[in-house]
Amino acid sequence: MTFFQWLKRRREIDQDIAEEIRSHLAMAARDHAADGADPETARRAAVKEFGNVALALEDSRRAWTSRWVEATADVLKDIRYAVHVLAKSPGFSLVVIGVLALGIGMNAVVFTLLKDLALKPLPGVEGSGRLAVVMSKTKGGRIAGVSYPDYVALRDQGPFAGVAGSSPGLLNLGLKRQGERLWGELVTGNYFQFMGVHAQLGRTLLPSDETAPGKDPVAVLSNGLWRRAFGADPNIIGKTIHVNAYPLTVVGVADKSFHGSVVSWDVEVFVPIMMAPQLGVAFQNRPGKLLHDRKAGFLAAYSRLRPGGTLERASAQTAVLSKQLAADQPLEDVDRTLTVLPISRAPWGAQTYMLPAITMCGAMGILLLLIVCANLFGLVLVRGISRRGEIAARLALGASRIRILRLLLIENAVLVAPGAAAGLVLASFALPWMNTTASAKALGRFFFDISVDRMVVGFVALAACLSLLFFGLLPALRSSKVDLASVMKDSLSARGAAKGRFRSALVVAQVGISLLLLVSSGLVWRSLDAAQRLDRGFDDRGVISVTVDLKPNGYDEARGRVFYQQLLDQVRGAQGVESASLAATYPMTMVDSEAQRVEIEGYRVRRDEDQMFLYNVVTSDYFRTLRIGIEAGREFTPHDDASGSQVAVVNETLARRFWGTPRGAIGKRLRAGSGEWRTVVGVVRDVKYARINEAPRPYVYLPFFQAPRSSMIVHARGSAGAVALLEQARREVHRLDPDLPILDARTLHEQTSLALSILTMTARILATLGFMAMALASMGIYGLVSYSAKQSTHEIGIRMALGATRSDVVRRFLARGVWLGVIGAALGMGASYAVTRFLAAQLYGVSATDPASFATAMAFVLGSTAAAAVAPAWRAARTDPMTALRYQ
Amino acid sequence: MARQPSESEARIELLQGTLDMLILRTLQWGPQHGYAIAQTIRAQSTDVLRVEAGSLYPALQRLAKRGWVTAKWDQTEANQRAKFYRLTPEGKKQLVREQSKWGELVAAIGRILNPEAPPSGVKE
Repeated sequence: MTFFQWLKRRREIDQDIAEEIRSHLAMAARDHAADGADPETARRAAVKEFGNVALALEDSRRAWTSRWVEATADVLKDIRYAVHVLAKSPGFSLVVIGVLALGIGMNAVVFTLLKDLALKPLPGVEGSGRLAVVMSKTKGGRIAGVSYPDYVALRDQGPFAGVAGSSPGLLNLGLKRQGERLWGELVTGNYFQFMGVHAQLGRTLLPSDETAPGKDPVAVLSNGLWRRAFGADPNIIGKTIHVNAYPLTVVGVADKSFHGSVVSWDVEVFVPIMMAPQLGVAFQNRPGKLLHDRKAGFLAAYSRLRPGGTLERASAQTAVLSKQLAADQPLEDVDRTLTVLPISRAPWGAQTYMLPAITMCGAMGILLLLIVCANLFGLVLVRGISRRGEIAARLALGASRIRILRLLLIENAVLVAPGAAAGLVLASFALPWMNTTASAKALGRFFFDISVDRMVVGFVALAACLSLLFFGLLPALRSSKVDLASVMKDSLSARGAAKGRFRSALVVAQVGISLLLLVSSGLVWRSLDAAQRLDRGFDDRGVISVTVDLKPNGYDEARGRVFYQQLLDQVRGAQGVESASLAATYPMTMVDSEAQRVEIEGYRVRRDEDQMFLYNVVTSDYFRTLRIGIEAGREFTPHDDASGSQVAVVNETLARRFWGTPRGAIGKRLRAGSGEWRTVVGVVRDVKYARINEAPRPYVYLPFFQAPRSSMIVHARGSAGAVALLEQARREVHRLDPDLPILDARTLHEQTSLALSILTMTARILATLGFMAMALASMGIYGLVSYSAKQSTHEIGIRMALGATRSDVVRRFLARGVWLGVIGAALGMGASYAVTRFLAAQLYGVSATDPASFATAMAFVLGSTAAAAVAPAWRAARTDPMTALRYQ
Repeated sequence: MARQPSESEARIELLQGTLDMLILRTLQWGPQHGYAIAQTIRAQSTDVLRVEAGSLYPALQRLAKRGWVTAKWDQTEANQRAKFYRLTPEGKKQLVREQSKWGELVAAIGRILNPEAPPSGVKE
């Protein structure tokens, strides 16, 4: 029988028994009437003789229904009663629901981000949070990819239940002007089986696509690309697409939920790894050998641990395998070992730069929820005190304490449920907004699973239950322990004072935690400020960047040189352009761009030294266009081309490390990768190459016409204004080649602000948390002071009758509030001092104990506690002594 | 009803379980409604045993649930609608069992209270 059938049955039983009792009373009344009583007296006598009608009914019914149904029905009744009671004080209810919604909503947002970064990083992949990724690690601790031969060894001899390789990156889809740049993955044949991803159309890639280089020119599309670029064409299978200008046959469309194996990248096309040479994918300009070269670490090897296996054991076994590989096929001058990382530490994707910040926000969010609970705790406690009369009456009428506890707990649950629901709604509005903001800034297509799924709902339910336990159960325990005698006397003295102390402690805790939150957000804001003011070594204002790639349009190297030379000449000659140049990569890329092994003439490398340095390929005028200062020597000139002698420019850090001074570097020689020896002709100032908080590091610039490549960025600086400059650059590109797609066009400032976006986001989230916390703590202080003022009305009356002035009274209550604020702030100060050192990695340009941040937070906390205490103190002082004395 | 303070002291609390037996016994003479059952027990015990309505109705529900009595709405002689309880064959057997158990209990208590008296047989 279902519960609802039970309820219906129960109602029938009730009606039946009630009618039986009515009949009993009628017969008894008739007998009394026969004895001579008048009808009314007879009726009353019958009822009196019968006893407790309600109890008889309940006991009779219990013979028929199960305990479970009874208990549930009772709870339903309690809920109905609770809703009724709470509807009578809508102010209280709305405040509680609102506060909870904010607290839970904030946490739901942060949790969703955390889930997407670490717990369920790959949408559409079962158990993706438990995947590991094998990478190689250099002596200097830098993480690099795994080569294809090493991947094969891992797959066949590794300690894993499964291993699949992938090389994610930007690929060009389509030809000529229809071409666009998108995220793609070159994957091993078992990739889809490993990920457990099926095709919604056609087939996925299979191990049979990984037999020989270039043998299987096929591709699988993502659902997004299939719909976006091919209008969800049901006959897509068998059609040809061009990836990096190479024709591939579409064999399938992957499942809707799958977005590739890199967090936040919306990977749209999957190609067999064996097609890498055909697509022109090269590792550090060493084409051809890619699939046989143990040096070419271009893969991430995703792996699943064996059942019962741990990451540590797999790591140890992988290290053994790595030694074995090194012994079998030693790599001269490259010293790398295989290392196993949890997927949350995979080297690509949003988790690399977002996870620490989001984890910090999560910790702060939980602190906020604690404040929310402490605040509600206080509110519920006060409500409990004002309801002591009702509770005492219930106890006196024979209700058990458990019953009352249940009622109070249900009342709080009735508040938590809509609070949590509102929090979820809040999160589901905030998340798409954040997503849109983020994807507008992102470089490639961006995918972040922002749906509020079962995991998020579960988290919210858990948070709600814990909150309920904390702020619902504890005060209910206290409230249900009513001392009947003291209620009768309406004296609040002893217990009232004890509760006052308890509430004071709650307020102190709130103030302390909010100080901690404010200090943290202050530190991050100051970091952001410092980062924005910081001299990054270049000037991005007024500079535009336009990215093109020649290879998909069939250019060879010679034609490429001509094209880029013409493009440079035209852009430089255009109106309003001061200077222009080409570059292979931007400054402040957020994640490291390409690195190359750099050899310094006459320098013996220490065994633990990492000689892999970031580099850029630029033309003449690059340093002038980006206003990067020249410390010594000269910048590249148009004469540094194929016919000139081989040259390089290095940064100050590299020059100082190997030759002592910038001037000392001029004329010395170095070699990048396997290229020729180059003479250092110039030393330029350091730039922030990837992140704002990176330490100074060596950097090499190569002249474009001595190391040409197909994809370059055109930088132009001029007085014409960004929009005009961008338009002009587009026009110049298309005048040279109407079929060449523009892959990216934006201002350099837009590009570099991306690197700050994480810091900006963290600062915003933390500031929101901090101010919410402070507002809540102020509410707590306000509530406490106004409550104690109300309690002391009588006392105020006496004091004023005895000659105390209003300002005496104000001072008295103000002092109470401020005193709590001071204690809380002092404790919060200690806590902040202990905690903020963990933030150090997220900070830039300020120390974790930055006095300005601490002082500002302190002033803010004390100011708002005083403000929160002043209003109720003022109200208390306006009490009319005569009314106060008559009170009670 | 006139107040009779001494009467309530003279009343005896029913032992747990005996109410069921008394109800079954009362129903032996034919179907009766709750009020009549209470009145009969009171009259037959010469006012010593008074059945609380708060115990009687739950007890009747219990007996009905176990299948020892069946209930049916009907009219009384005074034309009042009332629920009549009727003993089932199962209920009759149960009454016999309870009566014999009760007899043993009384005899045993009797032996304890009057140890010198010779043991007497159990009367049905």
